Amino acid sequence: MIRHKLLKTAALATAALFALAGCGSSGPGGNTNADSATMWGLTGGDETTYKSSIDAWNADNADETIKLEFFANDAYKTKVRTAIGAGQGPTFIYGWGGGVLKSYVDADQIQDLSSLISEHPEVQSRYIPSILESGVINGKTYALPNNKVAPVVIYYNKDVFAEAGVTPPKTWDELLALVPVFNKAGVAPFSLGGQSKWPSLMWLEYLVERLGGPEVFQAVIDGKTDAWSDPAIIKALTMIQELVDANGFTSGFSSIASDSGADTALVYTGKAAMLMQGGWAYQGFKKDAPDFVAEDKLGFIEFPSVEGGKGDPKNIVGNPSNFWSISAKATEAQKKTAYDYIVDGMFTDAYIDDLIASGAVPVVQGVEAKLEASDDSTFLTFAYKLAKDAPHFQLSWDQALSPAQGDAMLTNLDQIFLKEITPQQFATTMNATLGK
Amino acid sequence: MSTQLTTRRSGHRPNFLGSVGGWVWLVVIIIPVYYIVVTSLKGQSDFFSGNPLLPSASPTLANYQLVLENDFFRYLLNSAIVTIGAVIPTLVVTFMASYAIVRGDSWFIRSTNSLFLLGLAIPIQATIIPIYFMITRAYLYDTLVALILPSIAFAIPISVLILNSFMRNIPGELFESMRLDGCSDWQMMWRLALPLTRPALMTVGIYNGLQVWNGFLFPLILTQSPSTRVLPISLWTFQGEFTVNIPAILASVVLSTLPLLALYIFGRRQLLSGLTAGFGK
Amino acid sequence: MTTLTRVQRRSAPIQPRSAPVQRRRARAAGPSGWFAAPALLVFVCFAVAPLVGVLGLSFTAWDGIGAISWAGTESWATVLSDPVTGNALAVTAKVMFFSFIVQAPISLLLGVFIAGHQKYRALLAVLYFLPLLLSSAAVAIAYKALLDPNFGLSAGLNIPALAQDWLGNPDLVLFVVIFVIAWQFVPFHTLIYQGGVRQIPASLYEAADIDGASRVQQFFHITMPQLKYTIITSSTLMIVGSLTYFDLVFVLTGGGPGYTTRLLPLQMYLTGFQANDMGAASALGVILVVVGLVIALVLQRLGGKDRRASQTEGV
Repeated sequence: MIRHKLLKTAALATAALFALAGCGSSGPGGNTNADSATMWGLTGGDETTYKSSIDAWNADNADETIKLEFFANDAYKTKVRTAIGAGQGPTFIYGWGGGVLKSYVDADQIQDLSSLISEHPEVQSRYIPSILESGVINGKTYALPNNKVAPVVIYYNKDVFAEAGVTPPKTWDELLALVPVFNKAGVAPFSLGGQSKWPSLMWLEYLVERLGGPEVFQAVIDGKTDAWSDPAIIKALTMIQELVDANGFTSGFSSIASDSGADTALVYTGKAAMLMQGGWAYQGFKKDAPDFVAEDKLGFIEFPSVEGGKGDPKNIVGNPSNFWSISAKATEAQKKTAYDYIVDGMFTDAYIDDLIASGAVPVVQGVEAKLEASDDSTFLTFAYKLAKDAPHFQLSWDQALSPAQGDAMLTNLDQIFLKEITPQQFATTMNATLGK
Repeated sequence: MSTQLTTRRSGHRPNFLGSVGGWVWLVVIIIPVYYIVVTSLKGQSDFFSGNPLLPSASPTLANYQLVLENDFFRYLLNSAIVTIGAVIPTLVVTFMASYAIVRGDSWFIRSTNSLFLLGLAIPIQATIIPIYFMITRAYLYDTLVALILPSIAFAIPISVLILNSFMRNIPGELFESMRLDGCSDWQMMWRLALPLTRPALMTVGIYNGLQVWNGFLFPLILTQSPSTRVLPISLWTFQGEFTVNIPAILASVVLSTLPLLALYIFGRRQLLSGLTAGFGK
Repeated sequence: MTTLTRVQRRSAPIQPRSAPVQRRRARAAGPSGWFAAPALLVFVCFAVAPLVGVLGLSFTAWDGIGAISWAGTESWATVLSDPVTGNALAVTAKVMFFSFIVQAPISLLLGVFIAGHQKYRALLAVLYFLPLLLSSAAVAIAYKALLDPNFGLSAGLNIPALAQDWLGNPDLVLFVVIFVIAWQFVPFHTLIYQGGVRQIPASLYEAADIDGASRVQQFFHITMPQLKYTIITSSTLMIVGSLTYFDLVFVLTGGGPGYTTRLLPLQMYLTGFQANDMGAASALGVILVVVGLVIALVLQRLGGKDRRASQTEGV
């Protein structure tokens, strides 16, 4: 205690000494200055939507302005937690729901939005109901969806398929049969952003979903003993390693970062035939290779069924949506701005149109007509239908688990892809993290 | 410093092996630098299609424009503030400490010196969690001061080490004669010790300046908003934001290096002789 | 041979700066210890206190955002039983060893080389020092682009041996990291050696020339012994420094693929700020400090008496 006081005094004294530096640090909008609410978004597909929404909001509500900043995905995940820990997180915290959200809630960092929702039933009723689930912890709503349904699908380059004279796979066996065909043609069967690690996870998520159904992963979340040793998980890991052995993934996949869009680049430059990625990758294709999309060279299919699997082949994995949570540490004025924005600023007609124009499926009800009318109607209706018809929409595991478990899982899965460990070793290591 | 001592090897007997090695290393150094510069001048489509090692047929400065428009100058200013804000106080406090250590002789001074020397063996990273804790509790998180304070602390050991060795070379007679003239220790420090240790201060300044300017860990942990972002962190975030636009990322690398390159070109002789004098013993 | 050793011994008194030992006696009153107080204050607040803090935190449980609670030795049990810790230590030791093996001879030879006074060497020296100016983040980002398997250097070279997945192949990546570290840090050590070589009295070489000693003989019997302290300084900085290659590796590989390049500091960072287990990360921090101190002590022991004598003199 005394030490802290001493440190603080010393720090402040020294700070005063360096007046020059002091000036620099209190530069424009350093932290939550005045009563402006702050919002951190992610760069990429939805950037324009958020930006024009906030611009419009600030123009109409000069007394309740919001300051929007953008971060790249990996950088955001690194930064946001330290900032929240320092009591200087943004008013609007961008998130995925699940275990990470729960850890914030447990630390009393997130505002309970339940009363807001009961006061404004129109907020709740605008969303596709199943999507709201990921923002609910212990029966209370802590996060509200802010963008799009993003199921994970398989994208493919139509030209590459036509040249090889093959059609997209409907079953896992067909998928395996395509691998030698493309390898012989000198094209990588699958692109994969292995350095980012979470794209590799999609393979495990889907295979486990197909082989064993949602119960398998639910057991992991519930922390049941030896949940990772489930035969479906072992089998899925084995199948992944078989695919790696067959050269199913582009050589050097573990040095490709998804954040930089290098995985999609391999598909539109024709160096890889297929890519399994989230719905947001469609926006990436549109942004980085507009001609490729406009000329209808980009195809997409759902993850193939697996023979003899117990899971419903209609189940999907991915991100049901992204969410805004409101920081419990924000000032009252900031919170009020945030509530007002949630009620009146989000999912306006312009907001929905922007999302659709960027190539995304908004998480709200009654947009079928708008989707049909858009330039990207093929993809949008495909993704929308996928999400709507899915009996189960599994949230990405790394978000569903606690950060400590998620980190261990991603790194160990990386080792599975590199064939450094066996499925059994993976299960043993991961079983040790259960409940952490 | 001591070039007068070395008139050796002025050209007689060519050192063949040495030359070959020297040129090989030059290639090793130059290829990445060349690649960075060449690529930063390419357009995106050029980059995907052409040979990576050949310069573009139609060079463009668009990447540089993109980086400059992304708040480059703010990050540059932040880096400059942090560097100057850390180096100048470091010079003042370590100069004074070194003076006391070399000229004084008490239990307190000797243990202070040992403590500083011990600091040489301690990797900064090890203390980052408590530093994060302290900075947040002192409400300094996300300020440039948060970067400056620990940077000074971790610059102290090596600075004191270098300054001590210089200070010891000042002949004691000079101090004695000043004392006879009635000068206090305080006056002797500024009038005698300061001018004579200037080359060492130069070294310490440059060395620590480079460390702070290029520092990554403190800004990664202790700051968050764009208004406090320094150059190395801006590079890292550009990397994510510019998606697959590698030419733009490399343009940002070039731009972040330019200020130091300019200093290097104009102050090369000073910089090198300073560093040589400080370490080359 | 004997001539050379004799020359060397004879030269000892003319070596600059070996005299100041006796000056200490000349100190009469000396300045007040308070002159050292500002430095001490900052050092204690932001270096010593955190060191004590890291030890303290290693016995707590803290997720970075919630409250800190006492946890006894729980974090230590986690860290010490986690195979990743052992792996991180092994990776750190490998990087330390190979970095030294690669960097030390290159820096020494280059330092001797550019200490010569030929014009072209001066020009080369200007270029050699370029990497000194780049931040670790810049170096890592540049190499990442350069080594990209699909769009980088290897795609453009028509030499199959060079078209490798440098950062994704677990067998290669550690050596790539060691190479990039060398690329970045050799210039600094070259500079140190250059300075050292230039302080060797020319008379030694002149005498050796008269005795007809070859260049190689001169190198081993004059240059090397004369550079003893420089070698110790540079090696110490190099070895202790290899505990701090955090930023380069963090940006270049993020510790991957798998755990292949997860150095101890990186493992600490990821445990603390990614997996949010500050207690375990602090325990790793304590291990890092202990490793640093042990290495420093060992180096000092290896340096022997001379080293200690030289330390009282500064470097």
